[in-house]
Amino acid sequence: MIDTNNLLLQTILVPAIVSVLTLAVGGKLKKNTGWIAFITTLYVTGIFAYITLQLFSAPPGTTLEAAYEWGPYIGQFSLLADGLSAPIALTIAILTTVISVYSIAYMEHEHGIGGYFTLYLLYTAGMIGTVLTTNLAAFFFFFELMLLPSWALIGIWGTGEKEKIAFKYFMFTEVGALALLAGIVTIRFMVGSFDIFKIASRTTEVSLSVLTAIAVAMLIGLFIKMAIFPLHTWLPDAHAEAPTPISALLSPAMIGIGGYAAIRILYTGFPRVLANWQFTTTITALALVTLVYGGMMALAQDDIKRLLAYSSISQMGYLLLGIGSLSMIGLAGATLLYVSHGLSKAILFMVAGIFIHNLKTRSIKSLGGLGSKMPYAATASLIAFLGLAGTPPLIGFWGEFFIFTGSMYTGFAGALEPDITRVVITGLAVAASVMTAAYGLWTIRRVFFGPVRENLGEAKEASWLMIGPILVLTALAVILGVYPTILSSIIGPVVSGLASAVFGA
Amino acid sequence: MSEVQWIWPAWLCWAFPFLGAILTPLLAKIHPKVRDYGAVFFSMLGAAMTAMMIPRIFEPGQINNQLTWITLPGAPVLSELKAGVIVDPLSIIMANVVAIISFLIMVYSIGYMKGDPSLTRYWFFMNLFIGNMLLLVMSDNFIQFLFGWEGVGLCSYGLIGFWYKDSKNDYLKCWVGEGKEAYPPSHSGMKAQIVTRIGDAALLIGLFMIAAYSGTLNFIDLQNGAINKVPLWVLIPAAILIFGGPVGKSAQLPLMEWLPDAMAGPTTVSALIHAATMVKAGVYLVGRLFPILYLATWSSGTPNELINFFYLVAWIGVITAFVSATQAMASGEIKKVLAYSTVSQLGYMMLALGVAGSTAEFFLGYAGGLFHLMSHAIFKAALFLTAGAVIHASESRFMRDMGGLRKTMPITFWSMALTAFSLMGIPVVFSGFWSKDMILETPLVAGQYPIFILAILTVGLTCFYTVRMLGLTFFGEKSHRIKKLESEGHKIHEVSPVMWVPYALLAAATVGFGVTGYFLKDWFEELAHEYLSSLIGPLSGEFASKGMPLDQATMITIVSSLAMLAVGALPAYYIYVKRARDPTKMTAEGTTLGRVWKFLNNRWYLNRLCYVVFVYPVIGVSGWILKNIETQVIDRFNYALAGTVTWFSNGFRKTHTGILTYNVVGMLVGFTILLILLARIAMG
Repeated sequence: MIDTNNLLLQTILVPAIVSVLTLAVGGKLKKNTGWIAFITTLYVTGIFAYITLQLFSAPPGTTLEAAYEWGPYIGQFSLLADGLSAPIALTIAILTTVISVYSIAYMEHEHGIGGYFTLYLLYTAGMIGTVLTTNLAAFFFFFELMLLPSWALIGIWGTGEKEKIAFKYFMFTEVGALALLAGIVTIRFMVGSFDIFKIASRTTEVSLSVLTAIAVAMLIGLFIKMAIFPLHTWLPDAHAEAPTPISALLSPAMIGIGGYAAIRILYTGFPRVLANWQFTTTITALALVTLVYGGMMALAQDDIKRLLAYSSISQMGYLLLGIGSLSMIGLAGATLLYVSHGLSKAILFMVAGIFIHNLKTRSIKSLGGLGSKMPYAATASLIAFLGLAGTPPLIGFWGEFFIFTGSMYTGFAGALEPDITRVVITGLAVAASVMTAAYGLWTIRRVFFGPVRENLGEAKEASWLMIGPILVLTALAVILGVYPTILSSIIGPVVSGLASAVFGA
Repeated sequence: MSEVQWIWPAWLCWAFPFLGAILTPLLAKIHPKVRDYGAVFFSMLGAAMTAMMIPRIFEPGQINNQLTWITLPGAPVLSELKAGVIVDPLSIIMANVVAIISFLIMVYSIGYMKGDPSLTRYWFFMNLFIGNMLLLVMSDNFIQFLFGWEGVGLCSYGLIGFWYKDSKNDYLKCWVGEGKEAYPPSHSGMKAQIVTRIGDAALLIGLFMIAAYSGTLNFIDLQNGAINKVPLWVLIPAAILIFGGPVGKSAQLPLMEWLPDAMAGPTTVSALIHAATMVKAGVYLVGRLFPILYLATWSSGTPNELINFFYLVAWIGVITAFVSATQAMASGEIKKVLAYSTVSQLGYMMLALGVAGSTAEFFLGYAGGLFHLMSHAIFKAALFLTAGAVIHASESRFMRDMGGLRKTMPITFWSMALTAFSLMGIPVVFSGFWSKDMILETPLVAGQYPIFILAILTVGLTCFYTVRMLGLTFFGEKSHRIKKLESEGHKIHEVSPVMWVPYALLAAATVGFGVTGYFLKDWFEELAHEYLSSLIGPLSGEFASKGMPLDQATMITIVSSLAMLAVGALPAYYIYVKRARDPTKMTAEGTTLGRVWKFLNNRWYLNRLCYVVFVYPVIGVSGWILKNIETQVIDRFNYALAGTVTWFSNGFRKTHTGILTYNVVGMLVGFTILLILLARIAMG
């Protein structure tokens, strides 16, 4: 259906416009500027919640589209909310909403708060734009719009060697963006349009190796964003030294967008490339390596934010496994994993922020026995880690379950004969998921259980501005876990079409 | 339809405990006593619901009721998952065992946990556990089953680590182990979760393999033929991997080491979760899968290679039974003896199901496994509850701090003794005798004599460690500790009725089922025969079992178990009850017996092996990779890249001299080149 109320455009424009406002009033309102950001993002969340419900009650396969005339060469500025992009956009919206509240408390003593929330809102607009658009030029625009505010946020309000780390983050992502741009420009040449949906039909005569080269170029950009091994080194520093509310957006919301884009662009535009066994198996193997490597590095960390950063790398490994599964079940799982990782990682970063803000420490060694002092934080952290480990009845279970089922299904019953390599890789990935439980439970134990350290005697539960957002996300993780149909029933038809393009009709 | 009357208890029996768990924090705000009695009330409702289903046991078929749960439109498999319940003899028996014993243990908890500051959390997890356990039992499909399975694992984690402060003051109360292997509660909880998760990972892989072909994970659909869509070369590894889940959850080798350390939790938790119910979930899953896999093995009349799955189950069962029984003989903590005993008895149940699947007379082993599950739940729960009473009295978990309690705690003594006799399998009046003998007959009838020999030897070991436990606890002189407590004014006395009534009832039940055992045994066999036949259907082909006829097997079993009773119990009686010899001197350093004791006391070094082979290396390798690859190689590479670029631009910068003469010359040269190029283009 056509977006006659310009809802989709509003979700991008409103934060962008309000960001100017926050800059103006930031000096006077100080930390309460955050409430303006909160209202804005709440409005955006409301729009996406409404859209998701509409899609849920509409016949399967319904989408919401908007197209605006843009320029003769660039084509239309087209936006699409379907079963794939709506859940992701909704997750981003929810995260930005609750974290804006969290930021009010966390950043209370910082300077230049107006600027902080300006960049925050621009960052939001960038992320949402990336997810909604189906025009590759606009996609690139929003991709960069995500990068610049986050670079500034890390560089100004971060910790440690923040300028250097922000620069490293910028350079890495920018190189990736340029690779992405190279691919996009080449496509424009060949296809005559920036529209994603026109690529497949207009490149039927192009040789497979050329298409693969283009796909690889674009994937380099997206994989840097997702922090797939070995392109991951920017992430631990960036997420660890970013101001914690921004870490809680960088990790859960932003890096997964690379995965979303990979699904959208690869499956819609390059199905022949995916049908190539070497290509897909390489992706699957890379996913396994990322999964294991991230987990092992997480096990070895003492800095809690670095641990969570490596955990995110590991989770992106799962996402990539879903992307490479060539099965609609795997793609659905990847989408659900995005949601679950988004919720869980945001919770965990916010709890880490509580330690930094109230207890002034990030080191796990200096924490201990906090369960009795901070019961809500402890419960939320446990639920979050269990979600990462794929425990029912949380949404994380469904994400991982569907990813593995999809990959195994392709391995056994897919278009190629029993693909033992894939089966083995998937089996190893399931086995490696024990490591997620291990680092999660071990961290819970070191931080929340055991005797309370003497210097932590004064610790107590954080203020409602910080705990409230955490609890909202925790509740969502449980509710969606028990009843994921609200998402799975709209994701299904879309990814079904995407997956069948690879081998089938 | 008259089926409705069986359906709504099937849903409510687990819904009520869940409701109780959610309401607990709210009730706690009203008044602590409201919270306590409220929690017990909801578990009672659960038991009432399961009891309402009992009359249905006598009809063998299955009732299935489903609700749409999750849709994934367009999926080639699992596009629609329905939540559902199965009401059949297996689920009814298991549900009642769980719910009724849970209720009794909740009552006991009122006395046992009195005064604990975190009771709200306790009741929450206990009810959440009961709900998840019943959910697992009643589920009609693997995914819903997994929800319950992981749910009980989570509650187990939370309850083992209940006293998570790990206070050293509670060393004698809730730590477990000694010396280098002393573990606090939080460690034990984490260990339990991670070890069972390894089993769960295997279970999941097996599930994925099956789902890829069968398209469904519903037990009834699989039974009705969907399993045949799975080719054998996939089904065999899948079945073995799925068995990994029960190996973890039911603490069989090689994943048994979490259970002894789970004793760090409150004794009520040990009784409920780690004796009577959760650990049985693995056995239950094997039982639930039994008709499915049996049909896949035997449908053509002669068994195919899937029979190896059943052999594996039987052998893992019997070896676990033997090994853990030896470990029980040398343990100094009363709860650990009972923990090893539980592992051992679970091994018997696995043995029964495994042997049943590998023979034509499947119903004997199946019935035996099921009967022993019920029998064991009753007497093991009572044993743990009585152990809780004596630990409470002597304020220590070590049997060396007990002794001579027979006169001061008579009800506890008799409850423990009677249920211990059931564990040993003392003939006729104890249910343990009948159920265990059914299990022992099975390998004889199936012709698997090595299994029988190991199993019967384990009977001897069982008798030994049981009598040892009774002797150390109740007989002999009072220990130093008790004497000290009494001199300080704490008189050792019997526990309050809210604590002894539950275990006295369980002791009475074990005797009751024993006295009726002869008829019960036949009833179970008939039930298994009818129930499984209705599921598996008539099997074609002629196959005679390779073993001996049933009455001969029964005779041999009775005689050999009596012999083993004597071999095991009499020396233990001599040493530990009559205290005619000093066991510490007998197992002194350097003696053969001493070396054996040390080996057994160190759990065959299996526990240490887990840490040395798995835990420390993984952490160590991760740290090594972090230091040497992540920081040295990959990070360095980035800076090397940046350095190269900087070097290049520094070099190139030297061409920007800023001296006007060079700039002008450069401009002229460039201009000339451009002119030449333009001229060439213009001229074609």
